[in-house]
Amino acid sequence: MAHVKIPVDLILTQMADSAEKAKSRAQKASEVLLGELDTDLAKTPYEVVYQEDRVKLKHYLPRTEIRYKTPLLVVYALINRETMLDLQPGRSVVERFLDAGIDLYMVDWGYPTRKDRFLGFDDHINGYMDDVVDVIRDRNAVEAVNLMGICMGGTFSVIYSALHPEKIKNLVTTVTPTNFDTKKGLLHVWMEHIDVDHVVDTFGNLPADVMNLGFLLLNPARLMIDKYVGFMENMDNKTFVENFVRMDKWIFDSPDLPGEVFRQFVKDCYQGNKLLKNELVVGGQRVDLNRLTMPLLNIYGKYDHLVPPEACEKLTAHVGSKDTEDLCLDTGHIGIYVSSKYQEAFAPKIAKWLMERDGKPRQASVTRKADTAVSAAVVKKITPKKRAGTRQSSKTTETETFQADTADRAPVTGTAR
Amino acid sequence: MENQNQDPFGMMAMVNAWMKPFSSLWDGMTGDGGSSPEPSTDTASGPQGKGPNRSQAAMAASLKNWQAMAKAMASPESVKALLKGSTEMPDVMLKLAQTGVSSLATLQENLIKSAGRLGKSVEAYRFEDIDENICRLWTDIYEKEFRRFFQIPQLGLLREYQEKANHLVDQYNLLQSQIAEFVRMLGLPFNHSMQVMQERLGEMAEQGKLSDDSHEYYKMWIKVLEGHFMTLFQTPEYVDTLNRTISAMADFAAARDAVFEDVFSLLPVAKKSEVDDMARDLFELKKRLKKLEKEKAHLAARKAAEVGA
Repeated sequence: MAHVKIPVDLILTQMADSAEKAKSRAQKASEVLLGELDTDLAKTPYEVVYQEDRVKLKHYLPRTEIRYKTPLLVVYALINRETMLDLQPGRSVVERFLDAGIDLYMVDWGYPTRKDRFLGFDDHINGYMDDVVDVIRDRNAVEAVNLMGICMGGTFSVIYSALHPEKIKNLVTTVTPTNFDTKKGLLHVWMEHIDVDHVVDTFGNLPADVMNLGFLLLNPARLMIDKYVGFMENMDNKTFVENFVRMDKWIFDSPDLPGEVFRQFVKDCYQGNKLLKNELVVGGQRVDLNRLTMPLLNIYGKYDHLVPPEACEKLTAHVGSKDTEDLCLDTGHIGIYVSSKYQEAFAPKIAKWLMERDGKPRQASVTRKADTAVSAAVVKKITPKKRAGTRQSSKTTETETFQADTADRAPVTGTAR
Repeated sequence: MENQNQDPFGMMAMVNAWMKPFSSLWDGMTGDGGSSPEPSTDTASGPQGKGPNRSQAAMAASLKNWQAMAKAMASPESVKALLKGSTEMPDVMLKLAQTGVSSLATLQENLIKSAGRLGKSVEAYRFEDIDENICRLWTDIYEKEFRRFFQIPQLGLLREYQEKANHLVDQYNLLQSQIAEFVRMLGLPFNHSMQVMQERLGEMAEQGKLSDDSHEYYKMWIKVLEGHFMTLFQTPEYVDTLNRTISAMADFAAARDAVFEDVFSLLPVAKKSEVDDMARDLFELKKRLKKLEKEKAHLAARKAAEVGA
């Protein structure tokens, strides 16, 4: 056997140094943790202009002159809260939209209680969403609004736009699952065989704690160990602690998911993949993606382990619109929204895309070239996308992949979503 | 000698010794020395001598019955029959014990099998022994052997309540064994990553590439651990265990709710099912109302347009 030299002396010296550092860090950390910390979320001022049951419509107060004729409505998922888009001043998608001169509205789904367990897709999409859109149309005296959906909110937005195309001028989907026939994401694997009827019939709504546990189990090594090791290593840094606590607050600020929504999402989407097949029925109406004729911008994350690119990228090939664009960012599910770097690439891109279509007549077919100057911080690589089916020849959709520093791939403070 | 074999613990003598004073007690209570089975006319007469008092007569009759029964029980034949029944009890206990011992033997056998694989080389991101699940084995044994005891048919007025209580205990046991199985599975990546780390460190040591920074070892381990979790989470065994755990949670919640529904029916509060019924009614009413409101607004708009035209 070869003689093995182990630098025990050096390792022990290092460990002694580390112990010294840890002691000093703990002393500083106590000052930080016992001092005043700014951990509030969603500080950008807004007014609630409409409320129906638990659902509120937020209208953000303009920070600059409104430069868009069409207001933008942002629809977040029913899982977690929309406050993620407004984490803190200086790191807020909301701020960026307002600074671009967008008249911004956002749906706050509130906290479903037991009485909401019977509310399904129809009640949320043809009910709440449609009422909210009508309120904005009336307030702004416009025929149609711009709609941006996030994650499950994106799926709702796609369904809504297919059912009420006359009310939507432009559609933006971000990290939106539409193709559920993939084994790439763990959620897709796990949801395939779950007995959703048994769960919903027993629990009513899906409890937030169960959902959160599920999300933590998507990557326990990072989310249950490494994340807190990182915290211990940086707890003497006030800014880090504030950001960490703010993010942690957001992660565990989870409403329960209405039971019927969960049932339909699992059965029709994860298990039936009915949306892309044009077989989904909501409120007695079949959702036909060919009716989705408005311009569509589809953004997703390359390293998204919840909604992988395979779950997002097929949408543009299945809609009736001739003006579609895919944008793939080198980040995860929420890195798009909370990382300053990706906010720089993402929010101005949406603002610019909307501005280009703001003056144009609704549902116009637009032939365009891909952008060339989105952000100096990212290097852009344009990959023409192969289109499936007969519609391929009639469209000019292109996929843009933004490659940035891979060090930013990990979600900020190691969150799951 | 033969008697000793039939009653090795002297149960017959003990029962006889107790039965005698028991029988005498009823003799004393009835007040006739135990000779006459008929109620005494003295005790049955009213204070004014207007005939026997009804309640006193009923009491005397009842005492006489007890007396007769005590005497009958004290007879050698009865005591023998009673003791015969008592010797049957250990058979039931034996059956229970046999189930337990055979289950333990099966468990031990499998543990020994697993122990035989200890020290074998571990390949990164592979789980050959994922099915060697001792917790799954315990669940199987519980389902096949012990569950039966909670499914013994219940009888009488409280049958339904007792069945629900038994069902709750049964579902709780199943949930516990299912959680144990799930947690055991979540522990696999830790075992594997530790073993992989040992092998890697050995290789690094042989190559003289060991780092003096302990943080590097942590980073290496967390990466290996993450990889093992990702591999595990996509295995059919994990997905199956996850689904069974979720179902067990739902089963337990349903059994618990059923028991609580009974408890709440005794209290002046609404039951979960009643709240759900109300919520459903409210939901349907609101939906109908909203539809009517929209139709009304639509009609009003059309009428206004017609008037305008």
